[in-house]
Amino acid sequence: MDKKQVPISFTINGKKMTRQVNPSLLLIHLIRDELKLKGTKPGCMEGECGACTVIVDGRAVNSCLYLAVNIDGKQVNTIEGLSTVERPLHPVQHKILEHGAVQCGFCTPGFVLSIKAIGDECVEQGIVPSRKEIAKELEGHLCRCTGYVKILDAAEDYLAHPILQNSSDHG
Amino acid sequence: MNFNTESPATREELLQCLRRHQSADFRLAAGGTDLLIELKKSGPEDLTLINLGRLEDEEFTGITIHPAEIRIGALVTAARIHKDPYIHEHFPVLHQAARSLASAQIREVATIGGNVCQASPSGDLSCALAALNATCEIIDMDGKIRHETLSGFFRGPGKTSLLKSEVLKGISIPVNQDETLMSGFIKIGKRLAMECSIVSIGYHFQMNATGTVIQAGIAIGAVAPTVVFCTRAAAFVTGKKVNDLTEEEQLQVAGLIRQAASPIDDLRASAWYRSEVLFNSARSIFEKA
Ligand SMILES: Cc1cc2nc3c(=O)[nH]c(=O)nc-3n(C[C@H](O)[C@H](O)[C@H](O)COP(=O)(O)OP(=O)(O)OC[C@H]3O[C@@H](n4cnc5c(N)ncnc54)[C@H](O)[C@@H]3O)c2cc1C
Repeated sequence: MDKKQVPISFTINGKKMTRQVNPSLLLIHLIRDELKLKGTKPGCMEGECGACTVIVDGRAVNSCLYLAVNIDGKQVNTIEGLSTVERPLHPVQHKILEHGAVQCGFCTPGFVLSIKAIGDECVEQGIVPSRKEIAKELEGHLCRCTGYVKILDAAEDYLAHPILQNSSDHG
Repeated sequence: MNFNTESPATREELLQCLRRHQSADFRLAAGGTDLLIELKKSGPEDLTLINLGRLEDEEFTGITIHPAEIRIGALVTAARIHKDPYIHEHFPVLHQAARSLASAQIREVATIGGNVCQASPSGDLSCALAALNATCEIIDMDGKIRHETLSGFFRGPGKTSLLKSEVLKGISIPVNQDETLMSGFIKIGKRLAMECSIVSIGYHFQMNATGTVIQAGIAIGAVAPTVVFCTRAAAFVTGKKVNDLTEEEQLQVAGLIRQAASPIDDLRASAWYRSEVLFNSARSIFEKA
């Protein structure tokens, strides 16, 4: 039986939007299937792997365990929102490349968004996290290729000098 | 998944919603990190989700400090608890439990109310709250409030005393009577990250100026059908100088904690292993840094 659609208004990657959604729709399905933003990856779909991570109101969350109706009034950022024509790659992404932290790439969007969210929070609080703290904050991401060392290298490098770039990345 | 959602924005709307659905199949959803996983596996056809995710009511979403207690709204997230400076300073056991829960992404949405209402024997916040002698504040569909201790609230794995007409509104923790603390949360799992506990211990000892314990709370998780209050172990420590316990007394406390458990064999560990790990982790409480 089809359920009554729910109207929601939100901002995604800087763009305001109003949509009617199915009440049981998950955020990941809204993003991938309805908005066709395929950079958000479906992995375990149980909150274990972090491939589906997106940023909601500045915080990294698993879009596979988040109801789409709950983004009403909120700002969502996906990996697509980090690029602009003038700046195709975000500084986090540059660090990931520099350190060779990508192999198959499936987990990468999630890692990038979490690292960006950590960076924004650290700038706000004026702190530089230790490698151990970074590893703790990234524990909700699985990578089956790299063994994590290079990802942590990239995160540590970025978080030593994170840059808040709200104007260009909407986030 | 194919359910309807109702997203009350105010307390009155929430209570109305509850009243309207009493004869129907409904579930309350806070962060959804337990519930959505359950509903993905199976859920009744005609289910309504009463979604608390959009409720704007400070008594559900805020942390407030009162003269005799600190009150944490049921919708406060694990991340917020972990970052709260008052909780960090005065209730290290809860601070540490919040940090050990799941992952950063889940901590941002998982709520304290969801953790308690899930009534999982391995609920990390539940275990810490038990050690802190926390009380549940429950509101029913007519707006009536009742209070219940956590030990009365937990009835079995996944079972609480909540009625269909009730919602958990908040949790209260008595403020410390003395601020010399030995307080912490020990969580043993197969790996450090993202792991359900094999054994967990929450402890919170308040001491006076001479180092004598005036108030003690000890709770254990994942070793019985519910989180367990180790009242005998806590009574044993009370009145003693916890930093001067002899090795024999330390073993006695660890023994009492072990006796409070009734572990089983499951996928994650055998009963024997759990019991040994519990005993040794309990001893480690008294290891000096
Ligand atoms: C990958 C993963 C890892 C996890 N790791 C841990 C861990 O390490 N430690 C741990 O303790 N937990 C863990 N959990 C479980 C879960 O995240 C926690 O139990 C969390 O606190 C549940 O909160 P929630 O807001 O998401 O609850 P929900 O899923 O929204 O609700 C859980 C239950 O409580 C009921 N409920 C919620 N709020 C209320 C209320 N106010 N009044 C009445 N009933 C209510 C719901 O109806 C439901 O039955 C993990 C979960 C996942 C998916």
